[in-house]
Amino acid sequence: MKSGSGDFVEASQGVDPVAGATVKPDLEDPRVVLSLLETDQVVAAKQKTRFGRKELSLGVRVLLWGMRIYVVVMLVLVVISVFRALHPMH
Amino acid sequence: MLWLLVGPGVLVFLGENDAPSMLSYSATGARFGVGFFIPFVVLTFLMGLVVQEMTVRLGAVTHRGHAELIFDRFGRFWGFFSMGDLVLGNFLTLITEFIGIRAGLGFFGVRPVIAVGVGLVVVMAAITTGRYWTWERITLGLAIFNGLFIPAAILAHPDWSAVGHAMLTWTPLPKGSGSEILLLILADIGATVTPWMIFFQQSAVVDKGMQPRDINAGRFDTLLGSVLAAVFAIAAILATVPLFHHGIDASQFQAAQFAEAIDPWIGHTGAALFALGIFEAGIVAAIAISTSSAYAFGEVMQTGHSLNRPVRDAWPFYSTLLGSACAAAGLVLIPRAPLEFVVLTVNVIAVLAMPPALAFLMLLVNDRDIMGEYVNGFWGNAAGITVTVLLICVGIGFGLATVFPRLLGG
Repeated sequence: MKSGSGDFVEASQGVDPVAGATVKPDLEDPRVVLSLLETDQVVAAKQKTRFGRKELSLGVRVLLWGMRIYVVVMLVLVVISVFRALHPMH
Repeated sequence: MLWLLVGPGVLVFLGENDAPSMLSYSATGARFGVGFFIPFVVLTFLMGLVVQEMTVRLGAVTHRGHAELIFDRFGRFWGFFSMGDLVLGNFLTLITEFIGIRAGLGFFGVRPVIAVGVGLVVVMAAITTGRYWTWERITLGLAIFNGLFIPAAILAHPDWSAVGHAMLTWTPLPKGSGSEILLLILADIGATVTPWMIFFQQSAVVDKGMQPRDINAGRFDTLLGSVLAAVFAIAAILATVPLFHHGIDASQFQAAQFAEAIDPWIGHTGAALFALGIFEAGIVAAIAISTSSAYAFGEVMQTGHSLNRPVRDAWPFYSTLLGSACAAAGLVLIPRAPLEFVVLTVNVIAVLAMPPALAFLMLLVNDRDIMGEYVNGFWGNAAGITVTVLLICVGIGFGLATVFPRLLGG
């Protein structure tokens, strides 16, 4: 899916075919800008523009901490389980 | 046309049909025969399809890899936690891929050091192309050989009416120790739904240069990958069903031992195809998983992280890729290394690490600021939440069975 004719179609959406005048694409929207670039340009552009931090609500923070505790507890249980499997009690 | 459409979706699913996954399917067939686990495996691939479709949209719309997005939107604290899960899971899985490579070629009498060396050479050859497209075609070409399990299954002369009956009725139900059944359920889910798949496919979609207009092609690619991988997984189950019928205890078998054990029942050709399939599964997954680690490392460190970049421009990316592969390969060659520990835990850890990865995925794909009109719809969220809850329940079941071993008759 490298840039090719498909890109031309998308890029040409900024041209009004009836009036023949060029309509400027919305360059404020980073997704529009990225869709107009070649792959190498996308890589370069991404180094300069980053999505900002998302404001995490209390619910999201509780969810993420809950998941984190879940993983830590489960990893401990995995270690216990494997220890038992490798050292079966007679 | 099909060859042009396929890409990260087929690659990620056939990559996940890796050595430990095929070992899990083989163990399932040998232990329980044809029954509940046939449709259950199809269900796990459906779960995988739901998850992986979201990564296609995320990558095509944001042009960012998964690790990069988590760091951007949630900050370094959560980013490093997420990376920790990925790095641990990927490295353990990579070790099992080289165990599979060694075991697969070991069936043909190839010495371990040569088998592992062949694996490393293939990983290196794939990345020296300098283009994502060429790398993807080479890896896809290798991944097609996952289909070797199909002739192996046919040589096992499966009872197709029993397969059809199992697909429709989910019976016969597995009999035996509850903890053993639960462990195989965990292993079979972990053989299909894992964190590295999320990170890999999103990064590969970005590296391929997919745009929002390519999302439908990406969906088709992902659907095709899940169907192919499900068929090959069921073939692996069917290939080892003769062990179930002849009452052979396969609970302690490793990959090559399955090939040796089925030799008397499906013939040497079938057993050789099975062993080659294990070798192929290890090779393709070693390429995909080492690349997944390298993508994530490059995204987090904000260094070049594309297979389109020459080595001199993206040497940290290529170093991570090759370094992780070499370290895993080296560990496999250490005498008396606790490899059994790794094989036992890798799929279980993948399942247990999945709910947090899914939580990040669901939060990102519902983030209208970055996804715009491509945010999840109702059904996407319903399916994603169902998969997450199911995985948490299975994980809690594992936890209870570990703390109270007698609870499930273990």
